[in-house]
Amino acid sequence: MSAVSLPSGFEALEVFVSDWSFATAAERAQRRLDSTAQEREVFFHTAENLVAPALDLLDAKPLDQHDAQEQRLMSLLLSLAHIGLAVEIQGDDEPRHARDARHITITRAVSDS
Amino acid sequence: MEESSTQDHIELDEDTADLGTSPIPAAPYYQPDYFALEVEAIFRRSWLQIGHVCELPEPGSYIVREIEIADASILITRGRDDVIRAFHNVCTHRGTQLVSECEGSRSRFSCPYHRWTFADDGELLSAPDFERFYVDKADCALTPVAVDVCARLIFVNLDATPQESLAEFLGPLATELEELPSAQATTFSEYTYEIEANWKLTYDNFQENYHLRFIHPRSGAAAAGPQNPFGYPVNFGFHGTHRTQTIWSNPDARPLPFQGLAFVKGAELAMRDGFGDVTRAKQYYAIFPNLFLLGSPMTPFSQCVIPLSPTRSRGVIRLYWNGEDDCASRRFAREYAMATARDIHSEDRAVIEAGQRGLNSGALTHIHFQSQEILCRHLFQEVNRRVENWRAERDAAGRALL
Repeated sequence: MSAVSLPSGFEALEVFVSDWSFATAAERAQRRLDSTAQEREVFFHTAENLVAPALDLLDAKPLDQHDAQEQRLMSLLLSLAHIGLAVEIQGDDEPRHARDARHITITRAVSDS
Repeated sequence: MEESSTQDHIELDEDTADLGTSPIPAAPYYQPDYFALEVEAIFRRSWLQIGHVCELPEPGSYIVREIEIADASILITRGRDDVIRAFHNVCTHRGTQLVSECEGSRSRFSCPYHRWTFADDGELLSAPDFERFYVDKADCALTPVAVDVCARLIFVNLDATPQESLAEFLGPLATELEELPSAQATTFSEYTYEIEANWKLTYDNFQENYHLRFIHPRSGAAAAGPQNPFGYPVNFGFHGTHRTQTIWSNPDARPLPFQGLAFVKGAELAMRDGFGDVTRAKQYYAIFPNLFLLGSPMTPFSQCVIPLSPTRSRGVIRLYWNGEDDCASRRFAREYAMATARDIHSEDRAVIEAGQRGLNSGALTHIHFQSQEILCRHLFQEVNRRVENWRAERDAAGRALL
């Protein structure tokens, strides 16, 4: 992945682009289930304070006008929507939670379009 | 609408007294004989929510939905005249299933076997070498299924002559449903689960809060508090065969930082979209037999608990949205809302299955509902009344033949 794959100001997230960018919500949910606690915590704690500025930046344009850098940043935010629940809400319950969540299949998401 | 205030203890009144307080027989939650009666008494003759108008976005759109327990496949079309119709997905020549796709857009449907071709209003348009048949084309239209729409939700009724219209079935609740976000939705997200559990046992999980603190200690933290440790509803409502509850939420609960950001973004957009009136936001509707709807504009979900066998069901949860994602915050807030709802639902599944395994053993002759599980009791009574009525009807018909 290029060193400039994300908009300026979000360089700290570059290392997550290859592992946390997905086309569908089902893939993001699956990645959460397959992740380790360390992967989740590093991603979440690196990104949590960048989410608000990232949304401010991305909200400046309609979604369909985002360039490739902005699309990658959006994709990371969507993965964070899932990982944030694992880290912030479930905490050390996540392994037990993941066991049950494997039975719930996302068949369609408005973000897939 | 009849309401019962429920913070401490439900006092049975004239509207709820006939629900009783007795233990409930366990057999209806696992025995095949009772399930077979439910299929006939309820699922073959009640209005069942099967889709949403947004799945038929333009004339020519169609969807096909299976009702497995009735061995029925239903073709729902939006005709060139914009009318929504439903038919058995069955060619009237020799019964071949007409359409194999789940959805699409076309105005004609040709049977793969002998190419009988039907219009989207069900009329038989053409059939090869039809002169050799002994019937008129006009008598070969697709078999219609009763269909109607409320709040953009599509309902069908497998009874060839439904005993009541959808409006009569929903009663005054129809007006309330029209005010929910789903009534304005143009798209949705969806997740599903299959569960080794009876449909009522599964459904009951989602109409009592007694379990919240034990099964959802983290994901449901804001739904309980010191002043209401079990997170019991503010009130219950009984509307004929349907029921409602007003959800209680802890006014002192503070969201965690990331959670709060997602909630704030969702709330800001809901306000901008005109959902500032939150009259219905905490209203949770249990529409007989197997549909739930939540009025929240931020988590506007429905759940349909579909029976598959006496001890197997499928849950279909949808979050209905008005408009496609137009900005990053909307996309992010919707993704978080869906993932949150999915987390909560996923926590319920295993314990419901554990309950089913216990009932399957036959160890219990009865189960018990406390006063805050009155909606479960109401569902059972409504189901059982229909089963008993149908059984009496069937027995009377049998005697008439003797």
